[in-house]
Amino acid sequence: MDVTFKIKRFDPDSEVKIEDREYTVNVDKNASLLDALIQVREEQDGTLAFRAGCRAGFCGDCTMNVNGKGAVTCRTPVSKGIKGAKDGPIELAPLKQVKIVKDLMYDADTFHWAKFKAVEPWVEMAASPKDAEHVMSNEVVQDLREAMSCTQCGLCDTGCTVIDVDKTFLGPAALTKAYRVVFDTRDNRTGDRLEKLSMKKGMWDCTHCFEASEHCPKYIEPTDRIFAMHDKAIKNEAGPPSVVNHYKSFAASVKSKGWLDEGRLAIETEGYTNVKGLLKLLPFAIKAGIKGKRPMPYIFHKKRPGAERIKRIFDKWEDNGK
Amino acid sequence: MKYAFFPGCVSQGGAPELYPATRAVADRLGFELIEMEDVGCTGAGVLSREVSDPINARTFAKAEQLGLPIMTICSTCQGVMAQANHRLKDEEYRKQINQNFLIEEGLEYKGTTDVRHMLWAIVEDHGLDKLKEMVVRPLNGMPIAQFYGCYLKRPPELMVPKEFEKTRKTALEDVIEALGGKAVRSSGRGKCCGFPILTSNEENSLAMCGDHILDAKAKGAMAMVTPCPLCHLELDGKQADAAAHKGQEINVPILHLPQLVGLALGFSSKEMNLQRHLVSTAPVEDWISVEVKA
Repeated sequence: MDVTFKIKRFDPDSEVKIEDREYTVNVDKNASLLDALIQVREEQDGTLAFRAGCRAGFCGDCTMNVNGKGAVTCRTPVSKGIKGAKDGPIELAPLKQVKIVKDLMYDADTFHWAKFKAVEPWVEMAASPKDAEHVMSNEVVQDLREAMSCTQCGLCDTGCTVIDVDKTFLGPAALTKAYRVVFDTRDNRTGDRLEKLSMKKGMWDCTHCFEASEHCPKYIEPTDRIFAMHDKAIKNEAGPPSVVNHYKSFAASVKSKGWLDEGRLAIETEGYTNVKGLLKLLPFAIKAGIKGKRPMPYIFHKKRPGAERIKRIFDKWEDNGK
Repeated sequence: MKYAFFPGCVSQGGAPELYPATRAVADRLGFELIEMEDVGCTGAGVLSREVSDPINARTFAKAEQLGLPIMTICSTCQGVMAQANHRLKDEEYRKQINQNFLIEEGLEYKGTTDVRHMLWAIVEDHGLDKLKEMVVRPLNGMPIAQFYGCYLKRPPELMVPKEFEKTRKTALEDVIEALGGKAVRSSGRGKCCGFPILTSNEENSLAMCGDHILDAKAKGAMAMVTPCPLCHLELDGKQADAAAHKGQEINVPILHLPQLVGLALGFSSKEMNLQRHLVSTAPVEDWISVEVKA
């Protein structure tokens, strides 16, 4: 079958902008997009640059934008590309968040490795017990195996709403790698890791909008893993003071009143002694007050009927060691 | 249609215009709302699931006793509850939650409660044809961008499953068109508004907020509509800060879903509490200030 590609070209050495180019090749009907792309390079244009590592879905190297959507090209059949292109050529371009080296070839250091390195993705443990091994439960191993099945294709980062506005955000791919060591029961740096992950542009910048989970082709659920690290950090009181205050105030409000007291949350997030932070709230509070928005200061914030039952749920959860 | 109504915290707190607008519009649509008062906050994705799942299971058990589906008016409440409800479909997990947290109150969740956002109730239970017939003040082709809020779209297998793709994928667009407006598809319509990271990274939060509204504006939208009060807090409440951050004027009114429906059904802007918004809603009011059909 014939397949036509429209490929975004870029050459850093060229002084003029290179136009997108179309190529038509005849491929087997079961070919992957990457197979077809390799054929283009071999038969028609040896200057075309792109990444192709394992060619078997293990390395995530050949990820790119196909018809405007991120895809791992060695796992995507040509027929799917044709379907997505409707009647036109299959459009190929680099992912939006990458630094392009040439054509579809991206700089993997800025895309992945610098961020992965920042989460220190290696297990550090105390010396083994004498004549024994570090034992992990099957449950933990199975969970970590799922996280380890990540191929670093970067599709979760492509979907990330925060990376849209800030490419320096650590992102779900590196955070999933962080999860793999944070939840490794052999590792003895958990508290320290959670503090480090609370770095500027770190795990607290995730909005948990589930884009990452929706984009992950391996169903690793990066969003749920970031949630789990947030939970663990709050239990360890690790994180920037405003974030820890925010979580604690939220819980205290629901525990005591059954529902959220937004006025209290805003004040306690800043902290009672943080005069600068509290003053920052004033203009918004005044504007909102004038407009009749009125989250009442918490002495007036009523308890929900049944609040005692909600408190009881909190108590039981806390008694179980959270 | 009768629902166990779960108004959520924000509709009576930071976005107090939403609760009365919902009540009035639900009444006009013929929705009978039994308000769930003795239930707790969903946890909003902030509280650990270890404590929010039992709180939500308690809410579901109470709706189950009433024999009613729950109606929410917040994408975040809807998303968090739908995810909790999904986990509670697992019999073993449900049994554990019942035993550990609910039985002592004489409650047991059997796993049968359905949780529906008002948007879905309007499209799926009430019906768009019936809604169209009730319009007395058509929106006259007003270009309105829809903003769902991320939790009403994801995870897709829970929020927009195959059997509901037809009604939910473009529910907001369909409601806008049924009311006589023109739906403007902004690229951020299913994305996060930025609200959840306002505390941890205000700069990025405002950049997200500004980009979403400016994109809608560039595509011709005169206003935006959202079924999520948290998105409203961001898109309306932080719009001035987002404009300062982006270094350009924005001034796009943001309406809650029931407000937009209410205006088309003949309620005045005052009855819909538009005066409580931080961004002026005058352009919307001017656009529809035509005689109400008898």
